[in-house]
Amino acid sequence: MYLEGLGNTLLIALIAALIGIVIGVVMAMVNYINKKTGRLKVLSKICNFYITVVRGTPVVLQLMILYFVVFAFWDNGIMIGAITFGMNSGAYVAEIARSGFESVDDGQMEAGRSLGLSTWQTVRAIIIPQALRNCLPPLFNEFIMLVKETAIVGYVGIYDLGKIPGLIQSRTFDYLFPLLIAALLYLAVVLVLTRILHIIEKRLAKSDRNGGGVGNGK
Amino acid sequence: MENKPLIEVRELTKSFGELQVLRSVSVDIMPGEKVVIIGASGSGKSTLLRCLNCLEDPTGGSIMFEDEDLADPKVDINIHRQKMGMVFQQFNLFNNKTVLQNITLAPVTIRKKKLAQAKRRALFGKCEKPIETKEQILKEENEKAMQLLARIGLEDKANVYPSTLSGGQKQRIAIVRALAMNPKVMLFDEPTSALDPEMVGEVLDLMKQLADEGMTMAIVTHEMGFAREVADRILFMDDGVIAEQGSPEEIFGNPQSERLKAFLAKVLS
Ligand SMILES: Nc1ncnc2c1ncn2[C@@H]1O[C@H](COP(=O)(O)OP(=O)(O)O)[C@@H](O)[C@H]1O
Ligand SMILES: [Mg+2]
Repeated sequence: MYLEGLGNTLLIALIAALIGIVIGVVMAMVNYINKKTGRLKVLSKICNFYITVVRGTPVVLQLMILYFVVFAFWDNGIMIGAITFGMNSGAYVAEIARSGFESVDDGQMEAGRSLGLSTWQTVRAIIIPQALRNCLPPLFNEFIMLVKETAIVGYVGIYDLGKIPGLIQSRTFDYLFPLLIAALLYLAVVLVLTRILHIIEKRLAKSDRNGGGVGNGK
Repeated sequence: MENKPLIEVRELTKSFGELQVLRSVSVDIMPGEKVVIIGASGSGKSTLLRCLNCLEDPTGGSIMFEDEDLADPKVDINIHRQKMGMVFQQFNLFNNKTVLQNITLAPVTIRKKKLAQAKRRALFGKCEKPIETKEQILKEENEKAMQLLARIGLEDKANVYPSTLSGGQKQRIAIVRALAMNPKVMLFDEPTSALDPEMVGEVLDLMKQLADEGMTMAIVTHEMGFAREVADRILFMDDGVIAEQGSPEEIFGNPQSERLKAFLAKVLS
């Protein structure tokens, strides 16, 4: 039972992270292009509205709205959980990615444009890879947060690591032990992820010194 | 030299908000001509150069290049920028690309896009199916890039990232990256100002080679020796206008305005 819960937690976090990155990077990119060229004004306004609303409301509430109202016809709790957390995380990733985009030197865009590449061609080949590289550590941190937050999914009745103590406890009336195991499992997962984050950070620092960017994009 | 200018700038103005940086600049650049732009810091040299390929949108006036007005927002500027190479003070090599990829990125991307468009048109029977393939484009551009690297003696750097290079190497690669597009004119904005003194020579030598090969060049620089040697014409910019222009002999040997005399006294001392 614990392992099934752990699997669900990681699955939800993984799908949510993918959705979050796509939403976040697209929104940050729209804002970046709007800032640099003045185009995409309406889209940029919509993105900022989305970020404000999502960041300004509790994720439990968002989960309930999606589970009980928007997707009321659908009983795939894992997917609904993943979508909720993905949409939520997208707003935070957008902020992280925004700082990533802003940390890319303006000269990179100018060089691309001066060679006759379009704004979009330059953004795709030059700006996005550098922006992502610059914010890889905070992005990974966001993923760790996501793993912990998905425990909330238990509120709306899906098997997940945080919910299993409740289930077991309702049979055994022994509070402490199941909660402790859940906490330990979370701790183990988060520690492993943190370790991976440190490795990524070290690799990035090294390539700063003698390599430059992330891979070659091909 | 032909008689028709390659670039014809007429009454060009540029303001940043309230600040008017260019006030009515008119200048012709002939094919093969080397024009050097000098002047005090803040006089508008960079802005003028950056308006020529619309990295800054002109506020008013016109820039005729190949019978089109680049100042007109309706013109497809990307097509024209492909024929105008630009070299920056800070090199601006792409940090996430190897040296070779820096050189091939633009020609490969642009040729691949053209190929995709041609294929689409062929699909609708509007033209012959293109015989070129993506692999061919890549191979050709890689070969061309290697030749350009050989020319500056940096073939062995083809697969390293820019952060491992010296300033002089970076700037020479930035120059051949622009050359890979086969430009009709090269714009240089203080190409040696960010370099350690011992690396200035290698960059100026490459620029002299280009000049000897007949490349049309517009160069902002504080290297007066280079200006004297290479320039066909020198423009002295002061407070957003071309205050004085002439051959190197005229500018250095017989300056007219007090401002130019004061400027030369400062930079030549
Ligand atoms: N993007 C910009 N926004 C506002 N002011 C600018 C901008 N670029 C240049 N300027 C101003 O325009 C003036 C001329 O700048 P510039 O063309 O760079 O001079 P130069 O290259 O001769 O030193 C300066 O006063 C500078 O502060
Ligand atoms: Mg300047």
